[in-house]
Amino acid sequence: MIQKTAASSDAAETGPHIAIAARNVTLSLGEGKARVDILRGIDLSIEEGKTVALLGPSGSGKSSLMAILSGLERATGGSVDIAGADFGTMNEDQLAVARRGRVGIVLQAFHLLPTMTALENVAVPLELDGQAEPFKIAAEELTAVGLGDRLDHYPTQLSGGEQQRVAIARAMASRPTIIFADEPTGNLDGTTGEKIISLLFDRQKATAATLLIITHDPELAKRCDRIIELRDGLIERDSAA
Amino acid sequence: MISSDLGKAWTIARRDLRGRFVGLRLLIICLFLGVATLAAIGSLTNAITEELANRGQAILGGDLEIAVAQREATEAELTTLGQAGTLSETIRMQAMARLPDGSDTQLVELKGVDATYPLYGKFTLEDGKIVSAPKPKNIYVTPALVQRLSLQIGDPIAFGEASFTISGVIAEEPDRLSEGLSLGPVAITSLESLRATELIQPGSLFESKYRLKLPATANPREVADGLIEQFPNASWETKTRDDGAPSTRRFIERMGQFLTLVGLASLVIAGIGVGNGVASYLRGKQGAIATLKILGADSAMIFRIYLFQIMTVAVGAIALGLAIGAIAPLAIIQIAGDVLPIKPEFAVYPLPLLVSALYGLLIAVIFALPPLSRAKTIPAAGIIRGEGRSWRQIDRQSWIGVGLAIAAIIALALGTANEPLFSASFIGAAAAILLLLTALGALIRWLASKAPRPKNPLLRLALTSLHRPGAQTGQLVVALGLGLTLFATLAAIQTSLTNEIRSTVPRDAPSFFVLDIPVERADEFRTRVTDTASDAEVNIVPTLRGTITEFRGQRVSELETLPEGAWVLRGDRGLTYSATIPEGSEIAEGEWWDENYDGPPLVSVDAEQGAAMGLKIGDSLTVSLLGVEIQTKVASFRTVNWRNFGFNYVLVFPPNVLDNVPHNVAATVQMDVSKEDLLLGVLPQEFPSISMVKVKEIASQIGEILDQMATAIAAAASIAIFSGIAVLIGAIAASRQARVYDSVILKLLGATRSQILTVQAIEYALLAFLLSVVALGLGLFAGWFVITQIFEFTWQPDWPIVMLTLGIGAVATLGIGLLGSIPVLSAKPARALREL
Repeated sequence: MIQKTAASSDAAETGPHIAIAARNVTLSLGEGKARVDILRGIDLSIEEGKTVALLGPSGSGKSSLMAILSGLERATGGSVDIAGADFGTMNEDQLAVARRGRVGIVLQAFHLLPTMTALENVAVPLELDGQAEPFKIAAEELTAVGLGDRLDHYPTQLSGGEQQRVAIARAMASRPTIIFADEPTGNLDGTTGEKIISLLFDRQKATAATLLIITHDPELAKRCDRIIELRDGLIERDSAA
Repeated sequence: MISSDLGKAWTIARRDLRGRFVGLRLLIICLFLGVATLAAIGSLTNAITEELANRGQAILGGDLEIAVAQREATEAELTTLGQAGTLSETIRMQAMARLPDGSDTQLVELKGVDATYPLYGKFTLEDGKIVSAPKPKNIYVTPALVQRLSLQIGDPIAFGEASFTISGVIAEEPDRLSEGLSLGPVAITSLESLRATELIQPGSLFESKYRLKLPATANPREVADGLIEQFPNASWETKTRDDGAPSTRRFIERMGQFLTLVGLASLVIAGIGVGNGVASYLRGKQGAIATLKILGADSAMIFRIYLFQIMTVAVGAIALGLAIGAIAPLAIIQIAGDVLPIKPEFAVYPLPLLVSALYGLLIAVIFALPPLSRAKTIPAAGIIRGEGRSWRQIDRQSWIGVGLAIAAIIALALGTANEPLFSASFIGAAAAILLLLTALGALIRWLASKAPRPKNPLLRLALTSLHRPGAQTGQLVVALGLGLTLFATLAAIQTSLTNEIRSTVPRDAPSFFVLDIPVERADEFRTRVTDTASDAEVNIVPTLRGTITEFRGQRVSELETLPEGAWVLRGDRGLTYSATIPEGSEIAEGEWWDENYDGPPLVSVDAEQGAAMGLKIGDSLTVSLLGVEIQTKVASFRTVNWRNFGFNYVLVFPPNVLDNVPHNVAATVQMDVSKEDLLLGVLPQEFPSISMVKVKEIASQIGEILDQMATAIAAAASIAIFSGIAVLIGAIAASRQARVYDSVILKLLGATRSQILTVQAIEYALLAFLLSVVALGLGLFAGWFVITQIFEFTWQPDWPIVMLTLGIGAVATLGIGLLGSIPVLSAKPARALREL
């Protein structure tokens, strides 16, 4: 069992805590002639509670970096410390357990479980983490994202914006240290996308989580504390917004 | 920890499933069909054997039966039997019934019963009267005899030297089943009236049966053993109420076992459907699995969640199959009750249901574990990266699980088999066919990938469809291969059985068997026949009945089980003597005796039975005739042509051994068909003691039995074909997404629907053709095995029909494949591209 470390303890006493620490992270897929180097040595450190935008053209390695930082994929080389857990040394199942309560993920295509209601979708990570009263927490979280009246709706009965709200509620429900959002408005129209981004930032503030958001939208990036730009598997620019 | 993980998995599994079985339809259909078939076969077999056991007393006509051939019990024997319990005596023989004016005759099973008959059960007449022995000079007859001789109650009828009045038509003869095969309709009279026919003579072929009603506390087997001990040389054959009709029971059990194995083969085909269904269901769940992993589920949790789901649905399908299988005997009894040896009462039999359920569960485990094991390795990152990465390999634990389940199935099949060797060879053959088809699937994929690319784009696409990633070729080859193999096997078995029926009566077979010709009138008989029909060929042989009591120093009564295949040791058998090698026999080993041999007793034994008993030349063999034991030495083994419809005997003695024993002779008469009726009119009048058996009538009885067997096999195997079709449809459905993609892209590039259909037709035609060739080989082998090794018949399939059946199977396959492609063709490019 991987224990959550004290990474989120009072920052005032010990100085700013580091939520994400990556050193010389590389990722290669395939072998021999078919080998593709996707990430070629990423060094990155993100403090707790910060909002960070990850920008870059298609194929720059944004999604791969997020997959590694969120524990969905193992790096080929380098070290990855996420909220006090050494993701670089864990196998896939250990990563799955380590994600519980530590990492929340929001994806472009929502990825709700189609056979479960909104309430059940949000409750699943809490249940997997063995938390008490998962449905009570899930209902509160859905109410917080404005879906208090949609608890028993199935994903197909919800609009795209509503589905993404459920995804945000699901990511936030276990109060993770870090939220990863991969182009969360990519499947939504402009107005709805704007509302979703506002909600995401509101919830981030309310929970004091670290937010790492992948986007193509420079305007959205400017709302973050920090902007990291990737190109060809390397960090091209790292600046305050 | 584990229980809490199980709890979590169950909660999520249940929620995710929630009545949405659509993705698991194939699993449900396949398991349902397979389990229902097995449960129905098991329930019916059990119902019949239980009925035989439950009604054992009535079927046997007592708690204990002592039968003896060609003689009645002595006074001493009768006294001892009478002391053991209430005694009932019957005598049964074949005899010719004659109309008093001699205008018609009929071979009849004539039975004499005493006043205590029946000890159990009810002897009922058609008017509802429950009766015992008829009054003197009266006789009860079955409806078949009434119809055959156009009789009615009150009409006279003659047997031997006596004349009777028909005083009732039999509705139920309670001990009918234990009497065994009958060569004609039954007539029942009193013992005294039977004796008045003067058909019971020293040497004539009749069987006396003494049934005992024992005190409730007595054990029939112990009583029988005690009686045999008191009269060790009496040549008694004993049966107890537990097993009143052993040959019927053996037939039902053997047939049941064979059908169970056919059912098991169906279930294995269904298993492929289960595997495909589960794999396709889990492919549909790929996104959900990745999402659950993102939310913190590890691979063990994923495995548990989907194992719970699949097993829940499997248990449901199995339960449904069991329910239908359990009530199926009710329908079978209603529809085909007359074909069954006994109409069983409907009841639910837990044991065959439990065995069928276990088979279903184990098959579900074997075929569901591999896709489940792959599914748990679906990477969470797949969601971000698209679904392009192939699933990983099956892990070791899952292989171990599959291995254990296979071992359990084999153990279950062998453990519940009456003949484990037979079951083992069936399972071995089925496994070999399965492996061969799996290898063939891989070979076809490999060949398709290595074959030179045709210039025609449609052909090229059809060829590449066979080996591209995600192609269903492997599963299709196994499922279709098994289905077509079954088509070929069934056609070969059916036509071989039909030909068996046709050739049961060889061209040179005799027209009649004539039994119980007094030995002193043998020459007179021959003359009378040739006077009536000058072209008739008469072959006369002495006939006696005796029991083997010892061989190679081993008393048969002390054997716990008879050596496999040594049926000659079971009860009394026909014996003969001859100075020369009998017609239809050849010496296989040893030497035939001189024509005037006068030395110590010798015997010539059928080579197959000799081998079953482990006999060698010079070994001792003792037979008991009319209560006298004769010890002989084996002088030779003969290869006997049992199929020539002549008189064939396992044991043949030199004349000096048996010619002093009272006996009659039997004859085969071969003659022109047109004069058969003439002979039937003349001989019974002049030789009242004889029985004339029309060979054609026996052949038609055998034909009926073979026909029923063929129908039962076809019924059980048709389920396998249904399963095969379900698998085919499932495999087509599983590859539909890839085919829709192909179809849409081809349409974008300008292909018409007929061109797209042609691609699919070429692909399926290639498969169907290749598999037909393989199925022909495998099916013929399987058919040959069943016909020659299981039923011990001649292998004589009707080639054109086998080929035609296979061709129809292949065309049907092609048709179903193309029908399954219609939704693919109708995919609208614009909409499909948005969804893909």
